Amino acid sequence: MTTLKTFHPKPSRPAPSETVGVVGWLRRNLFKDIPNTLLTVLGAYLVVSVLAWLLDWAVFNAVWEAENRRECLDAVGRAGACWPGVGVWFENLIYGLYPKDQVWRINLGFLALIAWLVPLWMPKVKSKVAIGLAAVILYPLLASYFFLGGEKGLIWTALVGAGLLGLVWVWATALSEQMTGKTIGVVLLAQAGLAEAEEEKRRRALQIFAVVALLISMGVVSLWSFEAVSTRLWGGLFLTLVISGIGITFSLPAGILLALGRRSDMPVVSLLSTLFIELFRSVPLITILFMFNTMLPLFMPADVEVNQLARAIVAVCFFATAYMAEVIRGGLQAIPKGQYEAAASMGLNYWQTTNLIVLPQALKIMIPSIVGNFIGLFKDTTLVSIIGLFDLMNMARAIGEDTDWLGLFIEPFFVVSLIYFVFCFAMSSYSISLEKKLAKGRERS
Amino acid sequence: MTVTSSGEPEGRNALQRVLSDVRYRSLILQAITLLSVCAVFAWLAWNTSANLAERNLSAGFDFLDVSAGFGIGFTLIPYQEGDSYGRVFLVGISNTLLVAVVSIVFATILGLLVGLARLSPNWLISTIARSYVELLRNTPLLLQIIAWYFGVFNLLPRPRDSIELGEGFVLNNRGFYFPAPIPEEGFGIVLGVFVAAVICAFVLFRWSRRRLDQTGKAFPALPVGLAMIIVAPTLVHLVLGSPLSWDIPALQGFNYAGGMAVPPSFCALIVALSAYTSCFIAEIVRAGIQSVGRGQLEAAGALNLPGNWTLRRVVLPQALRVIIPPLISQYLNVTKNSSLAIAIGFPDLVSVWMNTSLNQSGRAIPIVAMTMAFYCTVSLTVSAIMNVYNRRALIKER
Amino acid sequence: MSAPAIEIVGLNKWFGDMHVLKDINITVRDGERFVICGPSGSGKSTLIRCINQLEQHQEGELVVAGVEVRPGGANKAAVREHVGMVFQSFNLFPHITVLENCTLTPTLGLALPKDEAEERAMAHLDRVGIADQAQKYPLQLSGGQQQRVAIARALCMAPKIMLFDEPTSALDPEMIKEVLDVMVELADGGMTMVCVTHEMGFARRVADRVVFMDEGEIVESGPPDAFFDAPTYDRTAQFLRHIL
Repeated sequence: MTTLKTFHPKPSRPAPSETVGVVGWLRRNLFKDIPNTLLTVLGAYLVVSVLAWLLDWAVFNAVWEAENRRECLDAVGRAGACWPGVGVWFENLIYGLYPKDQVWRINLGFLALIAWLVPLWMPKVKSKVAIGLAAVILYPLLASYFFLGGEKGLIWTALVGAGLLGLVWVWATALSEQMTGKTIGVVLLAQAGLAEAEEEKRRRALQIFAVVALLISMGVVSLWSFEAVSTRLWGGLFLTLVISGIGITFSLPAGILLALGRRSDMPVVSLLSTLFIELFRSVPLITILFMFNTMLPLFMPADVEVNQLARAIVAVCFFATAYMAEVIRGGLQAIPKGQYEAAASMGLNYWQTTNLIVLPQALKIMIPSIVGNFIGLFKDTTLVSIIGLFDLMNMARAIGEDTDWLGLFIEPFFVVSLIYFVFCFAMSSYSISLEKKLAKGRERS
Repeated sequence: MTVTSSGEPEGRNALQRVLSDVRYRSLILQAITLLSVCAVFAWLAWNTSANLAERNLSAGFDFLDVSAGFGIGFTLIPYQEGDSYGRVFLVGISNTLLVAVVSIVFATILGLLVGLARLSPNWLISTIARSYVELLRNTPLLLQIIAWYFGVFNLLPRPRDSIELGEGFVLNNRGFYFPAPIPEEGFGIVLGVFVAAVICAFVLFRWSRRRLDQTGKAFPALPVGLAMIIVAPTLVHLVLGSPLSWDIPALQGFNYAGGMAVPPSFCALIVALSAYTSCFIAEIVRAGIQSVGRGQLEAAGALNLPGNWTLRRVVLPQALRVIIPPLISQYLNVTKNSSLAIAIGFPDLVSVWMNTSLNQSGRAIPIVAMTMAFYCTVSLTVSAIMNVYNRRALIKER
Repeated sequence: MSAPAIEIVGLNKWFGDMHVLKDINITVRDGERFVICGPSGSGKSTLIRCINQLEQHQEGELVVAGVEVRPGGANKAAVREHVGMVFQSFNLFPHITVLENCTLTPTLGLALPKDEAEERAMAHLDRVGIADQAQKYPLQLSGGQQQRVAIARALCMAPKIMLFDEPTSALDPEMIKEVLDVMVELADGGMTMVCVTHEMGFARRVADRVVFMDEGEIVESGPPDAFFDAPTYDRTAQFLRHIL
């Protein structure tokens, strides 16, 4: 065999300058041919004129200081925005008619939520599922006392105490796992010198510790006394977040149950779930709100008073559940039969198969749709304004009916639209990035 | 081994054996579910009848013949104040369907344009389309409706300073006015010619298809047919001396009279619904066209199939299968969303029926049931159509 | 011999900043069976796709079946009239029948009467051995059958040159043979063929010339016996060791 020559690849030459870099990009994307160039010019004209008009209205011609709308109109007419009206009402846009001296409770309540959720983004924390579950189950107890206030009996105190303990536990867990890599239980036992004790004794010690902690937390809670704030005073962004928050936390688990029910082998369960889902999906939300608003008082025993906020929340929850169920069902259907067969061959029963194999995959596939549903729900909460609640949107509308700012509609709607947009766009961007991350994970495996 | 699920130890009593059998367990579970649902309904019914009795209300449908006694600002079908509640229901339905149909037409056209713009190779155009979609779909529809109403259509000038959008089309704070056609003697002939032209165009289309099959020569049936449909009736119309006159709205006193008019609330509703729905339709159109893989286009290119035929025979048939089901459900959404009309006082079904009629008559149960029945009927009809379509459009696979 | 079927002189192509084809010079004679092999990413698919202008080159001269292709792809249609292509992933149109796949371009592009187009299509389907499946839809067939339909579909345009872009790479082993048999039959019939393939048995049996590409350039080319038994370059030998 003769000796082989060695292959030396030629060095790459740079591409012709008109096809790469800024010039290439412009040629490809904006000025490919004459019609394309015309389109670009037209588009640029459109963008520039809209932006110029918007900036003129919102910034350059806008009035920033005035006592009432008359002054704005006298100064610039309709050519510029009249921001003082929004400024005066801004606190109401956020908190509704909540007593001004009590607003710190709302802030504290939402800070507690943020504090609760921060550990979910800590890289070394392992008990994320437990923290998430605690946020769903225990946080509402704490928050509802912050928001509602009022007299509390022993049970109420215990529940709020559990909420407070939950927050403490979340941070204790997060800190111990972040710093030592061990669960909080192990750390506590080591402190107590019981690290080497037998299983039974250690469990007993932890139980005792939990009870003591709950008692202490109840003691702390019983020292708090917040004055009662009627839900009639709730409003603005606060109310929007409360309604959509409850709707979201309720609809996900309830939707999962309904979806499983619809796919169940049991005809009665499947029929009832299907009826519920189809009924609530085929009518508009507003009819459901009206129905609960007028019918709930009829359905309840005469002495039970259901306040309007509760009626709205029930309606939103039912509606959101029906939609969520269909999304989840879509995810369940996408799970290949082989997964069920594999689970059955491992001897798993129905609930083990569902919880360990099917649901985690189905939820992962459907994350974009689930978030899409959340966004829809968040937008749909505006409908509660029609039955007379003062959510963020209705509060904005109220500005234009205030005698000082009569007819001031565009500016508040502009601000409120921005708020809605920021929330919805953030949610959808987060879901897209999550989806990309998950897709990458699938590729690698 | 710790798995004990199926291998039960012997010697348990009969009850436990029954409970551990999957079939019995499922039967028992279903019975419990059924019983508890029935119990809840019975409890609700019992409460309701007690409440109704206490408030002296009735749950019957006998009120449908009673005169409603209130006026409705805008009706598609004739209605007077003295008409019955049954008539109010029909007025509500017709108004709801009108809003839905008009919005669907505009939303489809707009959505198609934006969807195509989204796919444009021109970066600026696709970015503008994307911003349009993101801005509109990330803000609540109700907010958009109300903003269009209070922020635009309600602030229009008074009738005296109306905005003229061309001969006979007038926009002011009382609504949108446009000419109404009045057929005169001989217009029937024009209509007849129009129908004949449509039939001829159809026949022409069939013939050109056959000719294409037999000889391979294409005939421009579409433009020729369209021209026929437009030109023939126009000619006859002119020959007969224009037997169609227009009732043009004109300013009389403080307001416009004549022609046809829709209130500002209707305009706001149509604009907002069309714009909002168009972004969802745009995304559907985009996804549908993108679903036709690059390979299909490359194959059509390699086969040297002319561009317009690639669109008509390769891209559209495949894209439409993906587009039509979600498009139909968007149409259903428009119908449901039209119920937001109540927020700006447009008299749709929910507004005149579930709100005004319910408050006046107090018959909560029959009114809520009838409203729900209407929306359920629409929704069931649409899903039936969709099932038929899906079965027919299925691509055959192994 | 007549004019060359394909003549490529100094062809260069970039994807963005990446130089994917470097100074390619190839002449394919009329009736020649030309096989291109090489590792993935070597530019062989891009090269074959430049021939019928599915990709456009930026520099160099390209004459296909007597038609000069200018950079920018202005006269793609004139080139594609003479060139049939078979893809790795078949790319049949799933919404119409096998027969309609084959008659689509003859009726709409070549303006043949439907009867004649169908006759021609049936003849080619018969040639690839699936005339009995003509009324089925593509996705009802096996992969091998689909690829044979794709070959028949390309033949229906009466091309002078056939391009094969890894036609067997997406197939199960037992189906590869049925497609290769069709290709061998086609080669024996005197069709000018350019094949990107890793089927070295096929290359040895039918190819007139085998070309090895790497890093966007042609490393070496020659008749199959010399190429397989005595490669000139180490890179070629290394590749052949991996693949054989």
